[in-house]
Amino acid sequence: MSVAMLVMLAVMGMAFDFGRIYIARNEAQVFTDAAAMTAACKLDGTNAGLDRARQAVAKLPMRWNLGTKSFSGVVVEFSPDKQSWARVTAPDNQVETTFLRAVGAPDVFAVPAHSVAAAKPVRLIE
Amino acid sequence: MTRTNQRGHALLELAVSAAVMVSCLAGTVQFGYTFYVYNELVSAVGNGGRYAALRTYRAAAPRDIEKGKAAIRNMAVYGDARPGPNTPSQVVNLRPENVEVEWVVDESGKPAAVNVSIVNYTVDAVFGLFRFSGRPAVEYPFVGRFAPSESEP
Repeated sequence: MSVAMLVMLAVMGMAFDFGRIYIARNEAQVFTDAAAMTAACKLDGTNAGLDRARQAVAKLPMRWNLGTKSFSGVVVEFSPDKQSWARVTAPDNQVETTFLRAVGAPDVFAVPAHSVAAAKPVRLIE
Repeated sequence: MTRTNQRGHALLELAVSAAVMVSCLAGTVQFGYTFYVYNELVSAVGNGGRYAALRTYRAAAPRDIEKGKAAIRNMAVYGDARPGPNTPSQVVNLRPENVEVEWVVDESGKPAAVNVSIVNYTVDAVFGLFRFSGRPAVEYPFVGRFAPSESEP
């Protein structure tokens, strides 16, 4: 009976917890994709441009964990010439497991994401 | 204890544990499927947002802006700005009217950003319904070409 219970918890954990983990991963990726583009389009080779880029990323309304939590600890990096590209990393997304922790899995899964965008994108669509 | 009594115990145990197990199974299917669909919706708004960000913004008339929005909705739903009559939706039961596209425009009418979100979408997860409105959502900056006097083809 207890073995069957553990197996059931593991199956429920895989459906529920992995479901949330994959969503958080995807939400973080969509966020960094948009944030990298937001940062890159503010770049103009000056330090003021870098500040504008950081502020624009901080203002983005996207959330994670089924759209409930704001992104924190977002790192925005730039090309050395301050005008070619921007890279955004969202490193702090930790999904707490509900069922999987009962069968020995970690209590939290980290799902970081990062993206790079060019300041002058090549537009292949009209 | 007689054999008849034991049979009664087993039946009672089955009845109690089956109720728990079936509800656990139902919950697993319901949440698992809903999470799967939500994940697809996140991808859909992401794709729509990126397309909108790079697409030429034609604004000769309000009709052109609406046509542009329709193309963005189609991209989110079908993965194609001009889908054919038999193009399948990327997400179960997702239709263009479930995708909201809002431009953030400055005083001169030039778009600065675009918001793409899911509205009034219901997931039928076998054992229950989940409704999403206003999320998932994404905001992309506008980096496409601004064409205030061009019309949509």
